[in-house]
Formats: sequence, structure tokens, C-alpha cells
Amino acid sequence: MITSDPLTFITLTPIIVGLALLILPHIGPASMADFVRRIARSLSMAIAVAIFAITTMLFLGQIGNIDWLDIMQGDYVFQNEAVVLLGEIGVRWTVGVDALSFPMVWLTAMLIPISMLVEWDAKDGHIFHPLILVMEGALLGVFVVLDLFVFYVFWELTLIPMFFLILVWGGDDRRYASMKFFIYTFTASVLMLIGILVMYFNTGDASLAGSLTDHHFDLVSMTAQAAGDGLIAGEGLRHFVWILLLIGFATKMPSVPVHTWLPDAHVQAPTAGSMLLAGVMLKMGAYGFLRIAVTIFPESTVVFTPLLIILGMVSLVYGAIVCMGQTNLKRMVAYSSVSHMGLIFLGIATMQPLGIAGALFMMFAHGIISPLLFAVAGAFKHHYHTLEIGSMRGIAHHSPWLAGHMMLGWMASLGLPLLAGFVAEVAVLIAFWMTFGWLVILPALTLIITAVYYLSSMQRTIFEGGDPHVGVLPESLHGEEPRDITWHENAGMFVLAAFTVLFGILPFIFWDMMSDWSTEFMLETLVDAMNSQGVKP
Amino acid sequence: MLSLDEMENLLPEMALVAGIVLAILVPNLGNATLRLPLTRVRIPLFIGGTRFTATSDPRLPARISIVAFSVAFFFSFFGIEGASGEIGGVIEVSSFSRMMSFVFYGALLLAAVATTYRMPARRGARAPRDKDSESRVEALVAALMDNRRQVDFHLLLMMVGLGMSLMAMASNLFFMFVAIELASLAAYVLVAFHKEEAVGGEAGAKYFIVGSVASATGIYGMSLVYLWAGDLDFDALAASWAAMDGLDPFAVIGVGLMLVAFGFKVSAAPFHLAAPDAYAGASSPVAGVLATASKAMGFVALFRVLIEVTMPAEGEALWFCIVAILAVITMTWGNLAALTSENPKRMLAYSSVAHAGYMLAALAAIGSGLGDSATTELVLVAVVFHLTILVLFKLGAFLVLGLLETEGRSHRLEDLHGLARRDPQLAGSMFIFMLALAGVPPLSGFLSKLLMINGIVNISAGTGSTSADAIVPWAETVDPVFWLAIAIVLNSALSLFYYLRLCLVMFFEEPEEAKPLRRARHLRRTILVLAVLTVFFGIGSGAEFLLDLVETAVSAM
Repeated sequence: MITSDPLTFITLTPIIVGLALLILPHIGPASMADFVRRIARSLSMAIAVAIFAITTMLFLGQIGNIDWLDIMQGDYVFQNEAVVLLGEIGVRWTVGVDALSFPMVWLTAMLIPISMLVEWDAKDGHIFHPLILVMEGALLGVFVVLDLFVFYVFWELTLIPMFFLILVWGGDDRRYASMKFFIYTFTASVLMLIGILVMYFNTGDASLAGSLTDHHFDLVSMTAQAAGDGLIAGEGLRHFVWILLLIGFATKMPSVPVHTWLPDAHVQAPTAGSMLLAGVMLKMGAYGFLRIAVTIFPESTVVFTPLLIILGMVSLVYGAIVCMGQTNLKRMVAYSSVSHMGLIFLGIATMQPLGIAGALFMMFAHGIISPLLFAVAGAFKHHYHTLEIGSMRGIAHHSPWLAGHMMLGWMASLGLPLLAGFVAEVAVLIAFWMTFGWLVILPALTLIITAVYYLSSMQRTIFEGGDPHVGVLPESLHGEEPRDITWHENAGMFVLAAFTVLFGILPFIFWDMMSDWSTEFMLETLVDAMNSQGVKP
Repeated sequence: MLSLDEMENLLPEMALVAGIVLAILVPNLGNATLRLPLTRVRIPLFIGGTRFTATSDPRLPARISIVAFSVAFFFSFFGIEGASGEIGGVIEVSSFSRMMSFVFYGALLLAAVATTYRMPARRGARAPRDKDSESRVEALVAALMDNRRQVDFHLLLMMVGLGMSLMAMASNLFFMFVAIELASLAAYVLVAFHKEEAVGGEAGAKYFIVGSVASATGIYGMSLVYLWAGDLDFDALAASWAAMDGLDPFAVIGVGLMLVAFGFKVSAAPFHLAAPDAYAGASSPVAGVLATASKAMGFVALFRVLIEVTMPAEGEALWFCIVAILAVITMTWGNLAALTSENPKRMLAYSSVAHAGYMLAALAAIGSGLGDSATTELVLVAVVFHLTILVLFKLGAFLVLGLLETEGRSHRLEDLHGLARRDPQLAGSMFIFMLALAGVPPLSGFLSKLLMINGIVNISAGTGSTSADAIVPWAETVDPVFWLAIAIVLNSALSLFYYLRLCLVMFFEEPEEAKPLRRARHLRRTILVLAVLTVFFGIGSGAEFLLDLVETAVSAM
């Protein structure tokens, strides 16, 4: 199973084990229930680590021996023998990865054990950790399945564990936040479903089609059909579907004006929830946009490039400006996510291989840096009982490790060279300049705003203090002496920080396959579309 | 006298008749004896006297009806594959009729199980004594009332089942009406059976009056049809209709009037106005039966009259326009009304109106005459599949409300507040039911809706101009049937709001009362099984199995 069909294995195992750990204590005898509760946390961690190991082996070629630079456009590796789930309407279980989805798979598999580690002492760990395990399966499912029906199911399935993570383990205002989170993302995904259904009704491959409906949900076949005669004949309908998909994916990313659920959800979510939300769930939006909307409707993407630029630019600038006004640490990091996600739209809108590769690397780098920032913010809340920037000064004195991780995370986020964020930002900006010329000044200036808010918060929290040896402690501590972070928080942050540096110095580990994918994607898909729309590539 | 074959075909109905007879007889068995004159020999008579302990148990009628329904349910299930036979010229046993009775019996079985908690029978109930306090007397009287009502309730429930099942098997319009009336009259009483509150009686009366008017209209229509054709057999009617030269006013008006009667049964607008009152006033299990089995019965009648009799071999059916318009009005009205209702039972009632609209839209698509026989069958499969799985999640939702009702609350949205905290399992099941009603993949509610939309799109596909390069010119060329699919999609999106609202109050509001709900073990298990089946029939082998079953049934129609 692991070698013949690794993707199915890594997707279904966490869901099955997680659900079993959640359900077994309720149906078995008391002794078994106790036993299951006792092992739940360690077993979840063991599974998560095992899946990370498998994913890394997939990447390094120990399993399957894949050359990641050699995957043709439209091909997938580790594809399974399709299992028919619902022959009547053409739903099949097919999985596969390519250079677009694999970095996300690896990122997910890497983040899950770390987020578990950071919240190792969460209350009700026997529920908390299995929930995260279920979440892992759902997230991996989104990235590996190649059937839109199953894709949609996983897409919605990610909502449920996250919803409970926020609702049960969240902060004071968790009900409002989880409700807002659920309503926003659910409504958006229903619009996306309508778009998927319109696509479904235009599919025609008889060999895959459902026996009752003559249509199928297979993404590979849809892509092939789109590359041939186009999936949907009418141009207007095509644009309409593209817009529906955009709404679904942009809400998840999130982009202005549908971003308002994100700060609330982040502020209230538990640390592990925030880490996964920022690290992986936001990337689902960007991944789905590239995989479905851009790949199947490249002409519409070209036509709507101005819309993408506006959305991206507004998200970038607005997110950054709002950041400056924030006094809440998590809220600031959340808005910086909105800002960085804007860069992804800009990268795609450049219609340059470099820009798209930059967007992909942004997804990846932000997926490492933002969890680090949220882990820091969570530890901050944990040990200082507050998230207000400026209520404390000079934490470097009390919590040197925390201060160190905080600085590294913020530096990476503002795009310091030799850290992972820099590679992505520079790639997008260069591509932007190549396409739009001096318009690049606007996003480039935003980076200065980013630097301003990070540096000023840094100064106000880490360093400055009335007395350099005491600092100013927040009132929420009630005069107690704060402790430094615990070993497991430190270990989790340390791994993330190490990866931030590693991918900053050696970006080509993943950059090569991303850039390769983007170049081919450009040549195979977008150039034709641009020619047909009269835009010079 | 029935032959052995015929008896075998009617096994489920026989089980039900046996159940009815037993429910009348068994609770009356006692130790009465007859002394032979001039001797000391006493012959036991069993009827009368002091009842035995076993037969005086007030829980007995419920057990009898549950067993009878279970037997009927299983025999119907095994009859779906390959049952066929014709009895007495008016009954035709087929896969289709067995499929429908499978649905009816399933719904009624669930209602019977739920009623054992809704109308609990207490063994130790005794007559109040003088020294008892006033509240104690009231409680005892209520318990006694409940005990006495057991037989009546379950008798009526079994009669509903018998009537519905016979109705599905009818091959003659007159017999069909008689069977519908048998089911309906019993159902009117069941609605009014909810005597604890004034609304119960009012709901029953209202439902009865409106229902009688609808039936009378239908029977008047039937008599017009008889005047025209001189026969009420469906095959003969279909032949006459096909041979009809132009439009005969008797025939057209007759069919139109019958549409009113069946429209009431499926609660299609504008004949649905009594339905929300009836559902809100009736006890939840009964409301669930009205929303599932009774609706399915109305649709079977519509199939018979609209598709078997009046559907032309090619071209548009006479009723296409009117059914299409009614469908759109029904679903929109139902959803808009459900959005504004604060009573969960009324909300479910209006959602059931909306679902009737979706299914009517699918029927209308068949009436457009654009599809070939394969697409027609596809749409019918979708509708029958929807009627089948409605029993799972619609009735399931009513059963959850039924459990809340045992503490006297279920008619305000506030009663659901914080259900997740009081009872996570129940709230989780309700969440699944609501998502299934809204049609969220991968639950079974999505599958049936997708099949219906797919059927409509297939029927209208190819009518739109492919050369049109923008939405507006394309939309102008496509056949109006296509807009039915759009109407279903838009309405489903609209409906999401009230289903989610109900879920949100379960998870986010503070409960008004912190004490846990009644244990009601069997009902709880039933609800859990329904929730699991809602998922199970949505994807994978479960869905394929059920779809195969429905396909077999529909191909026999």
C-alpha cells in the first residue's frame, strides 16, 4: 500500500485513525476507553511523523524514485488505479501529484506534527490531537485528489475539524469567530460548487461518465478536454464559471473584500489551529485557483487579469496599511497574511513563468513563516496572557528564545534576504516589473510598509524598556515573573525557523520543480490563451 | 378467494391486516369463561373479563405495530426484485409498487418507534385516589389517557400504511382514490391526535377540511374523466387519451381537478397552505410521516395520472406549462417562507414544500417532451430516489424534534439552542440531516438533487445555440426547461441559509435548560442509524445499491 499507492495511504490513514480515536472511547467499555484516551495523543503524533517521513521519502525518491523535474504538464505521479465510488454519476477515487501540488503535500505533512508539538500540552489532548489528525487527512485530500466531487468533499471536510478547534479551544470570542469562519467559507464554497456543476454538465468523456448522467467529475479528463476544444463552448458561460470559482477560492485565500473572517478566526483560534489555518488552509485557495480555474479556463484568466491585479494590489496594500494600525499581535500577523496572499494574485497576473513560480514559492514560504509567527504569538499569549503589542517591553530579557524566534519570523516575513520569504517576493516583483514596468513601485513600496510595522512592533516588544534589566511587564501577569517558552514550543519553532533559513539559503530544493512547472504551464496553457485573446506573451 | 401466488404477492399487506386484527383483539383478551349449563365445566372465552397481565400491558399495541411494519417492510424489500402479479383487475403488484410500499412502510415503522416515546405508555398508571394532590391527579390522568390511546394511534398508523401501499398498487383510478382516502382519513385523525395542546385539534380540523375539499375536487374530476372515457382503468384511460382528437373538455377539466387533489397531497403551492399548520400542530413523528410517506403517495398519484395517462408519445404534454410554473412557485414560496419561520417544525414543513417544488420541476421536465425515454427514466429515478432518501433525513430531522418534544418543546427555535452542548450526538445527527436537506455533497441529498438537475439539463441540452458567445444570447435560445434547473440551484442556495441557521443555534447559543435530554434509547439509536444511512447512501456502494434498486423499480413502471 505504502509503495504502490502512497497518496491514498497518507490521505486515508489520518482520517481513519483520527476518527477511530475520537469515536472509540464512546462506544467501547470503560477500560478500553481509558486506554484509547491515554494513547490518543502519542499515537496521533506517531502517525503524523510517519506521514511526514513517507512524504519526505517520496520527495527524495526513496519511494517511487521520481524525478520531479521530469513531470510533463497534465501528468501526475503516484497515480492510483481509479476506484469507482459512484458509477451512476461518474465519481472515482483518483489521486496523483505533480510539481504544483507536491510542495503543498510536503508542507502539510511537515506542519501537522509541528503544530501538534507546539500544543503538546493542550487541554483535552485526547480529542485535540486526533482532530488535528483528521484535519491532516482532509488537507492532504484536497491536494492529492483528481476528482472534483471528492475534491469538494475534502474541501468541506477541512472546515469541520477547524470549526471545532476554534469553537472548543478558542479564545473568549470564539463563537462569533467560528460562526463567521464557517459561514464565509461555506457560502463561498457553495458558489464554487455551482461552478463545478456547470463544468460537470459539459464533460463528455464516455469512458469515465456515470451510467445515469453521461458526465464525470474527473479533473484530468476535464483538463484534457479544456486543452482540446475547450470545456465549455459559450465564452460568456466560461467567464461566469471562472468568476464563481474565483469567489470560492479568493474567500479561502483570502483576498480583499472577502477577507474579514480571517483576522477574527486567527485571533480566536488555538495556536495549532492558527498555524494550520495560515500555513495550509489559505494555500488551498491559491492551489484550487491555479489547478482548476486557471488551468481549465486560461482565456478567462487572461481576460480577467486586470481584476486579479486589482484584487492582489488592494489586498497587498490594504493588508499592509491595516497591519500598521493593529495593536493585537495575532491580528497583525493575520493581516500580514492577507497582504502576502495578495502577492500570489499579482504573481499569477504577471503571466510570466517567473511570476507564477514566485507565487508558488510564496505559497510555500508563507506556509512555513506564518505558522512560525503564529506559534510565537500563541506562546506569547500562553506565557504573558496578552496579545497587546506595547503592553510589555523588553521581552528579550525574560524570554530570550521567544524573542529570538519572534525576530527571525518577523524578519523572514518582511523579506530579509537569505530567508525564505525573500525569494518569493523578489521573484514576483521582478516578474511584475517585466510585465508592467514601473507599476512595480506600488508593491515594492508596500514592502517598506511591511518593514515599518514589523520593525516598530519589534522595537516596542522585544527591545525597548524603561530599565534594560527588567523591561515593562504587562498587567495581565499580575506581577509574576514570566517564564521562557516550554521545550516543546521551542522545538516546534526551532524546526520551523530552521526550514525558514534552509529554504532561504537553498531555495532550489523546491524552487526548481516550481519553476519548471510554471514554465511548462506557461508554454502549454497560457501562451495559447494569450494569443487567442490578443495579448502579447 | 386469493390464490397462493396472489397471497404471496400481498404478503406485506397481509402482515399489516394481521397487525390490525391483532391490535384490536389482543389487548382485550381476558379470563372470561362460559359455564356450561348444569355442569361445573367452564370454557374459557378469552374475550372480556379481567385482562391478563401480558395483554393489559399498554405497550403492547406499539409492539404489535412495530412488528407488523417490520415484517411488511422486509417483504416489500424482497418484493422489489421481481414481484409481479395482477389481482382482481384493480391491483397490480410490480417492482415499482413494492419500492413505494418499501418507502411507506419504512417511514411508518420509524414513526411507530418514535411514538413509543412521544406518547409513552406507563405500566404502573393507576386511577387517582382522593388523597392525591391536584398535580398528581393531573399527571395520573395524563398517563392513563396515554395508555388508553395506544391502540387507537397504532391502529390508525397501520391503516395509513395499508392505504398507502394499496394506493401504490392500484391500476384503477377509482381504487386508487379509495386507497388514498383510507390513508388520508386515518392521517387526519393522527394529526389531531396531538391533544396536549390546542393547536393539535385546530391543525387536525384544518387539515381535514382542506383535505376533504381537495379530495372532493379530485373525485369530481375523476367523475368527469369517467364521463369522457367510460372506464377508469389506467391503461384504458391512457389509450383513450392517446386516441383523443383535439381536446375534450371533460378530460382536460377532469385531469386538472385531479391535479388539485394530488397537489394538496404533495403540498404544492398554492394548495400547501394547510400543510405548515398541520405539521406544526401534529406530533413530530406524524408530521414526519406527512412530509415523507404522504408526499410520496401524492407523487405516485401524479406519476400515474401525468406520466402514464396523459403523457403523449412525443411532443409537449398539455400540463407542462402549468406544472413547471407551479414547481417554481412552490419551491420559491417554500424557501422564502422557511427563511422567515421561527418554529422549527414549520420551517421543516416549508422546506418540505420546497422539496416538492424540486420534484415537480423534474416532472415538468419530462412533460416538456424534449427528452427521450432514457432521460425520462433518469428523471423518474431521481425523483423516486429523492422520495426514498427523504425518509432518512427529513423524517430523521422530525424524529430529533420528536425527542425534544418529549419535554414539551420543539415549536420555537430557542428550544434547539445549545443542543450540541446538551446532547452532542443528537446535534451531530441533526447537523447531518440539515446538510443533506440542503444538498451538500457527499450526503445523499446532494446525489438526488444532482440527478434531478442532471436530468433537466440533459433534457434541455442542445436546445441552446452553441454559436452564441455570451450568456445573454445563449440564454435567449435555450429551451425554458433549462431555467427549471437554474431555479433548483438558486433555491438550494437560498435554502442553505435556514438550514444552517438551525445548525448554528444548536452549536452557538446557550441552552435554555442545562439538564440532559431523555434517554430514549431506541429512538436515539434510530436517529443515529438514519444519520449514518444518510451518509452511506450518498456515495460509494450504498448509493449504488439503492440507485440500482430504484432503477429496477422505475423500469417496471
